[in-house]
Amino acid sequence: MDGFIVTIWILRLLFLALLYLFLFAVVRVLLRDLRGASRERAELGRLVVVASPNGEPPLGAVFPLDAIASLGRDVNNTIVVDDPFASGEHAALTFRGRSWYVEDLESTNGTYLNGGQVEGPTPMGYGDELQVGEVKLRLERAR
Amino acid sequence: MSANVAWRTPATMVGSLFSAFRPRPRFRELGLLVLVSATLLLGSITAGASLAARPVLDAGQIPGGVDLRMLDSRALAAYVAGLLAVHLLFVATGRRTDQVLLPAVGMLGGLGLLLMQRLPQGLVTQSFGDAEFSLGQVQLGWLLLALTIVGVVGTVVRSDAWLRLYKYTWAATGIALLLLVFLFGREVNGVRLVLAIGPVAGQPSEILKVILVVFLAGYLSENRALLIEESTRIGPLRLPPIPYLAPMVAMWAIALGIVVVQRDLGAALLFFAVFLGLLYVATGRRSYVVLGLILFVVGAFVLYELFDHVRTRVDIWLDPFADPQDTGYQIVRALYAFGRGGLLGTGLGAGLPTVGSEPAIPAIHTDFPLAALGEELGLIGLLAVLGLYLVVIERGLRIAAAAADDFRALLAAGLAMVVGVQAFIIAAGNLKLIPLTGITLPFISYGGSSLLANAVIVGLLLALSDRGVEPPPPPRPAGRLRRVVGRVRGGGSGTPAKAAGRRSVR
Repeated sequence: MDGFIVTIWILRLLFLALLYLFLFAVVRVLLRDLRGASRERAELGRLVVVASPNGEPPLGAVFPLDAIASLGRDVNNTIVVDDPFASGEHAALTFRGRSWYVEDLESTNGTYLNGGQVEGPTPMGYGDELQVGEVKLRLERAR
Repeated sequence: MSANVAWRTPATMVGSLFSAFRPRPRFRELGLLVLVSATLLLGSITAGASLAARPVLDAGQIPGGVDLRMLDSRALAAYVAGLLAVHLLFVATGRRTDQVLLPAVGMLGGLGLLLMQRLPQGLVTQSFGDAEFSLGQVQLGWLLLALTIVGVVGTVVRSDAWLRLYKYTWAATGIALLLLVFLFGREVNGVRLVLAIGPVAGQPSEILKVILVVFLAGYLSENRALLIEESTRIGPLRLPPIPYLAPMVAMWAIALGIVVVQRDLGAALLFFAVFLGLLYVATGRRSYVVLGLILFVVGAFVLYELFDHVRTRVDIWLDPFADPQDTGYQIVRALYAFGRGGLLGTGLGAGLPTVGSEPAIPAIHTDFPLAALGEELGLIGLLAVLGLYLVVIERGLRIAAAAADDFRALLAAGLAMVVGVQAFIIAAGNLKLIPLTGITLPFISYGGSSLLANAVIVGLLLALSDRGVEPPPPPRPAGRLRRVVGRVRGGGSGTPAKAAGRRSVR
C-alpha cells in the first residue's frame, strides 16, 4: 500500500475516534449527573417560605414534602406555622397521582391559594402560592 | 436556594447583577471544549488534505504524500476562539449554568462550518461594499453572531418574568409576524417563507417556534392543574374541558394555515409536534396525544386531497424513482450519497459534492447537510451527529426536570423538543423515512435565521439551568379558568390581610 492512502485513512479514522471520544466524555458527564439526581430524588415537591412576618417558620425555609403534609400552629403538624392568624390544624397538602391538592381544614381564617380562598380540595400547580395566616409558602418542584 | 427568596425589586436586581460577578471555574466545559477544538482541527486537516489530493486522484494517479493543509485555518481559529470567549464569559460572570450544552452545540456548529467550507463556495455569495464573502465565510459570520447571542442570553437573562407575564403579547407578535410573511413575504422555490425588510431578510418561522414554545409554556403552566383535573368524556376519549379545547383547536388551525398559505410543511409539522409534546408533558394524559394524532391524520388526509404541493411531496416520498431526473432528483441523489458513504464514509472532502458545476444534491447546504455528512462520515459519523442531538435533548429535559416551577419546566422541555423534533423531521426527510419537508438541520445547516433562533434556544436553556437565579415571580390570582371548577372563591383582591373581621386564633 502506498503512503497516501494509509496516512489519509489514519487521519480520517482518528477524526471519527475523536468524535466518539467527545461523545463518550459527554455521556459520562450525563450519566454521573443522572445517577446523582436519582439518588437524591426522595421528595415529591417542596414548600418555600416567601413571607413570614413573625419569623416562624423563617423566611426562605425549605420544606421537602411527602405525599401528605399538614400545616398549622399545632406542634404535631408536618409544617408548623407559628402565626397568630393560623389555626391549630389549618390546611393539608396531598399529592394524588398527578397533581398536588390543597384542602382547608376548617380553619378560622381560611387558606388562600394565589389570593383566592380555598373551599374544597383544590388542585395546586408548582409555582402557586399558599397563604396560611400571614405566612406565604410557594410550592416548588422537587430538585 | 439562597436565603433571600423574596421577590426582588429592580434596584436589588441590578445590585445582585453586579455582586454576582464572581468568577467560577467551569473545568468540565473547558475540557469538553478542548476536545471539540481537537476534533475540528483534525477534521479540517483531513478535509483539506483530501481536497488537495483530488486533482491528482482525478487524473488517475496516486499522490506521493499527504499534503497536510487545513481548509481555512483562520476561520476555524476564529470559531474556536469564539467558543472559548463564550466559555470565559460564563466563567467571569460565575453563573452556575449547564456545562455540557455549549460544547455539544459547539461541536454541531463546528461540523456545519467544516461542511460549508468544504462544499462548493459559489453556492452562496454575499457582498458588503467591496468585500465579497462566500459560503464558508458567511456561515462563519453567522456562527460567531450566534455564539454572541448564546453568551449574552446565557449570562444576562436572570428572570423569566419578561417571558411568562407577556405570553399573549408574544403570541400576538408571532401571529403578526406570520401575517407579515403572508402579505409581504418573498417567494423562494414556490414557498413563501422569507420576509425582507430593506437589506435584512429572514425566515420568521425560525423565531416563531421559540415564541410558540414561550406562549404554550405560559398557557399550559397556568392551566395545568385544571387540564389534569377536569375532562369531558366523548365515547372512550377523555377530552380537556371544552373551553380549553379552543386554544388547541386554534393551534391546529394555525398549523393548517401555515401549510395552506405559506406552503411550509416543515414548520407546520414542527409546530404541531411540539404542541402535542408539550401538552403531554404538562398533563401526562395520553388521550390528548391520541386526539391530536387523530386530528393530524384527518388534516393530513384533507391536505393531501386538496393541495397539489402536498400530494407531490407524498408521491415523491412513496416512489422517488418514478421520476428520478426531475421531481425525485433531490431524494434519489441523497439516497445515493448515503449509500456511497457506507459504514466509514469517503472521508471529509472526498465525497461527490458536484456533478459538473452543480452541487450533486440541490439545496445541499440548507436542506441536505445530513446527506453530505452521511456520504463523507458514513454511518458511524452520522450516528455520532444524531447522538449529539440526543445530548442536547437530554440536557433540555434534565433542565426541565430540575426547574423550580411549571413554567420553567415546560419552557425548557419545549425548547429541547423544538431542536429535537426539527432535527428528526429533516433527518428523516433526508433518509426517506417521512416525506421531505424543507426545514433546516439545527446548528449545522447554512442560514442566519436558523442559527440565530437556535442560539436563542441554547441561551435560554443555559439561563434556565441556573439554579441560583431569581425565584419565579409570584403567581397571579386564580383566573377565570381555575374558577370554572368552582372550588376557589373570590377574585384577585381577597387576600386575608385585607379581609375584614379577621380574628386572631391565639
